[in-house]
Amino acid sequence: MQGSRRRRPADAQPDQWVLLAPESVTDLPMKPDDGPLFTRLRNPSTGEAALYLFNSRAQQLFEVKAFHEEYRSWFIGQAVQHDGRLLFATPVDPLFLVLFYLIKAEKEQGKFQPLDQVVVDSEFSTCTMLLQCAQVMDSLHHVVEEKEICRKKFYKYSQEKTLKWLKKKVNQTVKVLKSSNVSVGGRVQSATFISGKQITDVKEEDYVRYAHGLISEYIPEELSAELSKYLQLPELTSPEVDPPLKKRKLSDAPVEAEEDYTKFNSGLKNKKATSKMSAAQKALAKVDKTGMKTISAFFSAKPKAIK
Amino acid sequence: MSESSGPIRLILAPARATPHDVLHLLPCEVEHNGSASVARYFTPAIRQGPQEKSVSFRGRSLKGQEVKVPQGYVGLVLKEDQRPCSEEEERMVRLKSTFAALTVWNLEQAPSADDGLLLALSWPGIAEAIHAPLSEKEE
Repeated sequence: MQGSRRRRPADAQPDQWVLLAPESVTDLPMKPDDGPLFTRLRNPSTGEAALYLFNSRAQQLFEVKAFHEEYRSWFIGQAVQHDGRLLFATPVDPLFLVLFYLIKAEKEQGKFQPLDQVVVDSEFSTCTMLLQCAQVMDSLHHVVEEKEICRKKFYKYSQEKTLKWLKKKVNQTVKVLKSSNVSVGGRVQSATFISGKQITDVKEEDYVRYAHGLISEYIPEELSAELSKYLQLPELTSPEVDPPLKKRKLSDAPVEAEEDYTKFNSGLKNKKATSKMSAAQKALAKVDKTGMKTISAFFSAKPKAIK
Repeated sequence: MSESSGPIRLILAPARATPHDVLHLLPCEVEHNGSASVARYFTPAIRQGPQEKSVSFRGRSLKGQEVKVPQGYVGLVLKEDQRPCSEEEERMVRLKSTFAALTVWNLEQAPSADDGLLLALSWPGIAEAIHAPLSEKEE
């Protein structure tokens, strides 16, 4: 803290952060220099820079998002911190990030290639660390065709296999969503009720649509549209898109959150699901609202900016 | 811009060597970074009511709720002691302290279930669902 005022207004260059991370992130590395690494990689949905965290030895990948409301500051022990953000590091399937490069290679070269020739990026050189993640090699077969020539392996993106894999991902997510609706208990239930619909009214299709929306945050838009077809999700009809006004007026929070959610789930007309599963969605909307942009800007300030 | 913003290494310390901190998320902006007499002026004024905590801060009534960090998670305060002068040097943050719970404060009204932070705390569970490797059965 000392010295943070020396040559800049508060937060021009924050030097302290509050982060929630899985306990495993704090496991000590074999060598002190091999600690976890914050780095910027391509967001596999947008292709833009976003902040990620590799654990020690790059075995696991986490995405970093910021929860940020206006007019917030921290008391931390016997000190005050102007920047009131709370960062979240949560696990992300590194195969999503590899998939981005496989699809790109398929469009550009369209041939079988070794993986280390596919996952290269002059702008994001740390992307090669993705290949160290155990989860990538274990699950790669879900998204590629494979050939072995002279004991070297060559891969090519397969949309057919990928859609199958994504569908399983959707199913897995639906399962957890359903069970978490029960186990998260009274809070979410009541919030759902406040939003104007009984929980019993939630249909299987709504879960699938919601899970599709979540997964779509990690795949290119084109593939998201393909997945929607593959899942046979019916197009939403417009009368159901907008919930009645009176529902929105019950609380300020859901209104704001619904607006957030449309941003969060850009390209999807997802209001119908929103009205039914608002609590969980609001949670995501809130997290994402501040999401990557804030947080990447936040970590990206260049040393030369303070010279 | 993205090219020059290099990675940042997190320097860990053994858990027993890392102090715990008490965190309060305030409903206002304090335009300052630095020491504050929290234990002297703020903490002693906190009253625990039947449902919520309350405190008077700068003449305003705050209502608060203590929340635990999600299960399997840990709260970390990270500090960058010195930013390297050149872009070639790796940036480093060190683990300064940890926390297992925090108190979120609102003006006048206690945080409700619809409150942003309380909702955001359910994000890790949902993220887990999306990103876990496919279970054997799904395979």
